[in-house]
Amino acid sequence: MGSVPLASFFEWLTTSPWAKAMNGPEWAFPVVQSLHFIGFAFSIGTIAIVDLRLLGWGMRRQSAAELAADLDPWTWAGFAIMLITGPLMFSADAVQYHHNPSFQFKMVCLLVALLFHFTIYRKITRSDASPFAAKFAGGLSLVLWTAVVAGGRMIAFV
Amino acid sequence: MSIPSALDWIESTDLSTAIREGALPYPIIGGIHLFAIALFGGMVLVTDLRLLGWAMRRRKVSDIVGQLQMWKWVGFVVVVSTGLLLAWAEPIKLYRSPAFWVKMALLALVGVHALVFRARVYGNTARLDLAETTEAKLAASLSLLLWTGLIVSGRLIAYDA
Repeated sequence: MGSVPLASFFEWLTTSPWAKAMNGPEWAFPVVQSLHFIGFAFSIGTIAIVDLRLLGWGMRRQSAAELAADLDPWTWAGFAIMLITGPLMFSADAVQYHHNPSFQFKMVCLLVALLFHFTIYRKITRSDASPFAAKFAGGLSLVLWTAVVAGGRMIAFV
Repeated sequence: MSIPSALDWIESTDLSTAIREGALPYPIIGGIHLFAIALFGGMVLVTDLRLLGWAMRRRKVSDIVGQLQMWKWVGFVVVVSTGLLLAWAEPIKLYRSPAFWVKMALLALVGVHALVFRARVYGNTARLDLAETTEAKLAASLSLLLWTGLIVSGRLIAYDA
């Protein structure tokens, strides 16, 4: 981080047309933020339902594999909404955000959460994993996504 | 006790001061509020998408709605109690915020929605297993609209005054 090309990229981002739009009307930022919240209700909400099943705390009439397959398109819809709204908000004040410790914490947690989600978690969810492995995957997934949301909330305070 | 003096009293309580002025309580309570919105919002979403027939069509309505009901309550209790704590911290600001009053009006409509549709839709899913009804789809659409409105108005509070 902090290398010159990256820093100039962030500076360029803040002058982009979409950053100007975000910094334009007063309602732009809160509206995009609200869409971001709706996006994570889609993605983290549906992931959490599978997590609860893996932990054995809910939705026991379906298997985790069935739930994950059924909810997958909605999880992806949420990811898509967040992938658009997140970078939009970042662009609006890119230089500030990339120095913000909460933002950095959030990005690290997000990276770990996504890596875990598409590798170990996916494998455990879709196979007949042992109850221990299932509980581990469900628990860690909840913890990682909680950290992502908490880190996001802290951005405004740090 | 008049409303302004009641609000002044709330702001003068130790709890209000602690949440408002401490470095950690406000963002932590706000973080829990937000995470509960993710969980609870996701469950409301899945329930309503199933009622609309857009998601989880291979599962019975009664299976999905029934199994999520308890968790929706857990989420609701967490969202409302953290919301009350956040409101306790700055009642005067909220009293003057139009977005806050829009949010409270929508919350009241969520109550009305429950009174109207609870018995006939959410508590009557065995019938919906046999055939999807227009009433259930109406209930689900209105629920999604109300919750979207709650999220947007809630976010806008931070930008009032």
